[in-house]
Amino acid sequence: MTDHPNPTEDDLQMIAEQVWSSFLDPAGIYPLLPALPGDPVPSDVSAAVSVTGAWQGHVVINLTETASRHAAAALLGIELGEVTVADITDAVGELANIIGGNVKSLLPQPSVLSLPQVVTNAASTYWPAVVEVCQLTGVWIDEPVNVSVLESNVDYAGVSSS
Amino acid sequence: MTRVRAMVIDDSRAMRLILSRIVSQLGFEVTEAGNGREALDKLAAVAEAPSLALIDWNMPEMNGLEFVTAVRADPRYRGMTLMMVTTESEQGQIVRALAAGAHEYVIKPFTPDAIVEKLALLGLAPNGAAA
Repeated sequence: MTDHPNPTEDDLQMIAEQVWSSFLDPAGIYPLLPALPGDPVPSDVSAAVSVTGAWQGHVVINLTETASRHAAAALLGIELGEVTVADITDAVGELANIIGGNVKSLLPQPSVLSLPQVVTNAASTYWPAVVEVCQLTGVWIDEPVNVSVLESNVDYAGVSSS
Repeated sequence: MTRVRAMVIDDSRAMRLILSRIVSQLGFEVTEAGNGREALDKLAAVAEAPSLALIDWNMPEMNGLEFVTAVRADPRYRGMTLMMVTTESEQGQIVRALAAGAHEYVIKPFTPDAIVEKLALLGLAPNGAAA
């Protein structure tokens, strides 16, 4: 693990607000609201991008199936009932890409961003050998949303550095 | 009357759609490609290259920087205006893209107005007319 200022929940909040106002809620009707204590962390749809280089880890967005449908409908400009699994995969993957890219700009350089990986119908996702740097939990259209930044604690040789 | 053409290159269908809508409303006729390689193939298949390409950075097969480098090395595409539209926001990345031949750089997330303003700065005015 590296010694550097980590991204914070406030950073994630600022990035999320930009994403929502640009793509998911341009009219300002359904903003991402703060979650209440005890709100569940969704796990139906999970999209992640990995960062490698001077900093190593993952940026993960977790949504409910309903929230992911709303996200796909908003990004693609289609009705909720028209959304397919392919639409969800594409849209949520792009959200992970945008959020992850903006998080990467706060991390030590040089580093490289992976293409997004998306898991649908996930009961849970497991990230081995990581520590959570920060997370943002919110509510969008009455559905929980979660964004996490996970730093790897394993170096290139696969040896734990913590 | 021939419409001014643009190409939108992004591996996300949603992002292609968003960008295509913006430039279509400006009067451009839009073609899309899912990565740099597909974009080069489409360019090779047309008699006249589009005036504008909006290009993502991180894509499979051929990324946006490789596409910009390939286009700039080919005199057939000398007249193309290249705008990166990407989540890569480090200063070093921006410098690399501009040095490779991109004319403008927009960081995701963006608003439609931000794209329109950048195009206006490049002399690509609304309704597809070159300023």
